[in-house]
Amino acid sequence: MAEIHLTIDGRTVTVKAGATVLHAARQAGIPIPTICDHKDLNPYGACRMCIVEIEGVRGFPTSCTTPAAEGMQVRTRSPELETLRRRTLELMFSGHPNTCLVCPHREACESMRPMATKAGRTTRCGFCSNREECDLRNMALQAGGRDLNLPTLYAAHNLERDDPFMDRDYNLCILCARCWRICEKIHGKPAISIINRGRQARVGTAFHKSHVHSGCTFCGSCIDICPTGTLTDRFARWHGKADTRADSACILCPEGCSLTAHVKGGQLVATAMTAFEPDSSLCALGRFGYAQIVNAPTRLLRPTIRDNGESFSVDWDSALDAAAAGLSKHESALGILVSAAASREDRHLYHLLAQELGAKFAAIPATPAGTKPLLPKWVTGPKKSRSSALILSGDFLEDKHLAGLDFLLVIDGLPSPAQERADVLLPAALLSEAEGTFRTASGQIKDLARSSRAPGMARPEWEILWDLGQKLGLKSMAFDSLDHITAAVGEDPAPQAFADAPRHDVRTLPAFYRGHRTADLVPALEAFGLSATPRPLKQDVSIEGFQLLETRELAPNMHLLRIKAPQVAAHAKPGQFVILMAKETSERTPYTLADWDAEAGSITLILEEVGRSSRELALLKAGEVLAHVSGPLGKPFPVAKKGTVVLGGGCYGIGAILPLARALRQAGNHVLSVIEASSAYLLFWEEELRAVSDEVRVATKDGSRGAYGGVQEVFQQIVDQQPVDIFIAVGCTFMMRMVAELTKPWNVPTFVALNPIMVDGTGMCGACRVSIHGETKFACIDGPFFDAHGVDWDELACRKSAYAREEVEALPQAVDLSALMFPGAARPRCGCGR
Amino acid sequence: MHPDEAGQAIDTILSSHSREREHLIPILQDIQERMSYLSPKALRMVADHLDLSENDVYGVATFYSQFRYHPPGRHRIKVCQGTACHVRGGGLVLDAIVRKIGISPGQTSADGGFSLERVACFGSCALPPVMVVDDKVYGRMSARKAEKLLEDLE
Ligand code: SF4
Ligand code: SF4
Ligand code: SF4
Ligand code: FES
Repeated sequence: MAEIHLTIDGRTVTVKAGATVLHAARQAGIPIPTICDHKDLNPYGACRMCIVEIEGVRGFPTSCTTPAAEGMQVRTRSPELETLRRRTLELMFSGHPNTCLVCPHREACESMRPMATKAGRTTRCGFCSNREECDLRNMALQAGGRDLNLPTLYAAHNLERDDPFMDRDYNLCILCARCWRICEKIHGKPAISIINRGRQARVGTAFHKSHVHSGCTFCGSCIDICPTGTLTDRFARWHGKADTRADSACILCPEGCSLTAHVKGGQLVATAMTAFEPDSSLCALGRFGYAQIVNAPTRLLRPTIRDNGESFSVDWDSALDAAAAGLSKHESALGILVSAAASREDRHLYHLLAQELGAKFAAIPATPAGTKPLLPKWVTGPKKSRSSALILSGDFLEDKHLAGLDFLLVIDGLPSPAQERADVLLPAALLSEAEGTFRTASGQIKDLARSSRAPGMARPEWEILWDLGQKLGLKSMAFDSLDHITAAVGEDPAPQAFADAPRHDVRTLPAFYRGHRTADLVPALEAFGLSATPRPLKQDVSIEGFQLLETRELAPNMHLLRIKAPQVAAHAKPGQFVILMAKETSERTPYTLADWDAEAGSITLILEEVGRSSRELALLKAGEVLAHVSGPLGKPFPVAKKGTVVLGGGCYGIGAILPLARALRQAGNHVLSVIEASSAYLLFWEEELRAVSDEVRVATKDGSRGAYGGVQEVFQQIVDQQPVDIFIAVGCTFMMRMVAELTKPWNVPTFVALNPIMVDGTGMCGACRVSIHGETKFACIDGPFFDAHGVDWDELACRKSAYAREEVEALPQAVDLSALMFPGAARPRCGCGR
Repeated sequence: MHPDEAGQAIDTILSSHSREREHLIPILQDIQERMSYLSPKALRMVADHLDLSENDVYGVATFYSQFRYHPPGRHRIKVCQGTACHVRGGGLVLDAIVRKIGISPGQTSADGGFSLERVACFGSCALPPVMVVDDKVYGRMSARKAEKLLEDLE
């Protein structure tokens, strides 16, 4: 191929004909910033970050779309280019949340909050699951974050969370078009497109249909190629950036697609395509289901044996002894049923075991939705012809087939009815937890990587069988390594492919994995017509309870809830809180009373959506009933006449300081209320506070209104102007800590409302323990208000993050089928309340 | 129009255009002229005819403000948002109408009574703000007057 010589920043670069200026620069190691460009996509030229100067060419061409030409003189760096790139960044960020980039407290905040907050709406980098790997953010920070001129426009698009597997927040979209370009590249006809024009332009589907009906196959490539936090994998989203990636293959159906496992701290968080190419595509189950199966909360953890009808956990050695003893005794009548969704090695060892023991053997193939695998006669036939002892590596049999067995050994990673009857139960590693090889329908042999840790004591099946072979003294099963087993497998036949590949059609996804219904393990699959095991309907909505009178999204992510709770309203005092449960099954979570009306018997709360419980509450509709409201709890704030009182409220704390301001002012104090938010559009209740305070001041972290910074900057201003007798701060732990550190040298009494994890709220459980001046206190009964200068903040932060992983895992993965079927009708509320 | 009839009408339009992508806009225009709006079904048929994704067809159509996606109401209300009308409170008039009939521009009310459109200019810039109802021009509107006008129409 012809070669082209050009000069970039004074260096001569030689590239093949057809290369772009960007390619040439990259090849020479000269960095040019890009956003819309991606190595696996055709040049598009939308973002204009990659502009360069070319001698003899007018203006500033985009290097990603300009073909390199012989003799070209290119400059990638010049004051003009720098300025233009800055302007481009500023433009891109003008419709994109940007407060964290310009916030004066960014460094301190990020060091104290290393993980992004799992908020509903992403209104800043601190609420964005993309933060750890965001090129856009890095570019802005490199360009000097705070020196950029970044206006804030919040588009207030609806959150799109009703589809299976993906959360979409188009308020973060910068219209780089990577998503629909990759969708078009992989599927030909994209399931998404850029719709509308001008300011209304956005990525979407025809008539705003759900992706389930837009032709989307849920391959996830748009998520994986999106440079922002707009498109996210609901399960992987808040786990943080993977630390290890390993190429492997999916064994859930005969296709055996290649995949890359994304692992963090030994935990599989996602599986994605190995390349952005049409034939590397994955189906919804391979892309999104894998990690959910492996992380199923029901995984089997310990070897268990049954004796005299009672089952108990034992160590591996005893369990294997028991298994070997049982097998030797029932050798003559033994049958072995395994799943075809297993490595060749596992299957080979099962097969060897069957040969050695003279047992019957069958491997049950994976089947697409709507079909059931055929079981061999020797398990389903007339009783006399059945095997009376079984090894089950999966959940294939109904109770009627299991009754009356003389011996049952279950080797599996997931629970099944058979487990109740098993004489010996051995926990197996699944999918990404075991090494091996897999033969695909096309006959190819692919390597399976062991990339994540098996839970509890679970072990790979080949190891289990190998040990079992030793216990039984079977010579043919003595191998010295896994490679040896692989070599011994020989020419196994290729499995039969499904009629339609699941990656082209979501209606043909595998319905079972090792006999377990995939929809039981990955609930969102129900959206594609896969059925889960029918469960008795649980009546979640109790008529008795606490009616939600009003609910509104005051500002993005900030929800006002007015609830009928006459008992609480009658006795509430400023500073007290309540514990709420949206449903009988919800966690108990504390919320400070923002207002109440004893006559109407109602209480008002402000909550921020930051996790499962607050999300359940935020999604309730007016008229619905909360399972539980207990309170008022905690000590009321000791309201007395002190002189000048300065209150600081951030986020939900803006609501929490309202009753305090009112009471303190009534008691004759001069009350100054200070409220902070990331940006002006996130402020609320300013007028309400003005009505009960002598003065209200505002601070925003991007300086879009009031003081630039947080309440602490305003507190400083205030002490510079007048003496203050008390400070009170309510907000996130970070804000309260900053306030505590600020006021300590001033020797002014400062109170903060601590918000540790609480369970009962009555001082019994001790979950809310905090240390104040070295003394242990219970926030629920001794608090919530404490002397800010005595708080052990590190301990508090540590206690608050104790369940970080569980909190991420508790986020719901199921989809609301009625919301999918009747889009719009079931949507809680649209927009941000304005 | 009966769904079958509508389908036939669209088929007729499609068969008069060959299957190249360039024909997309003329096809959409023809369909809108015949059916007065672009239904989801119509877009699906167009996408099939040209072997495009329905989402792309919708993307192209929504790029142009001339296309509608709801059948027009019995009364078609158009509110001017051109410069002259804008500076004299055209936005307030539009807001008042949105509040009054509870639909946004581009939509048709559930009972089929009204449809609402935002228009760039009617050429009646001497009478701002201007709105047009069923091809009759009303000038020097205010939020109050617009509400009154709608009440009279009902
Ligand atoms: S995508 Fe997320 S991390 Fe990146 S700049 Fe936007 S908010 Fe920040
Ligand atoms: S998941 Fe795949 S098919 Fe669906 S929109 Fe994204 S890229 Fe397209
Ligand atoms: S959703 Fe992501 S990939 Fe798609 S245009 Fe927006 S920012 Fe780009
Ligand atoms: S990277 Fe070249 S225009 Fe976006």
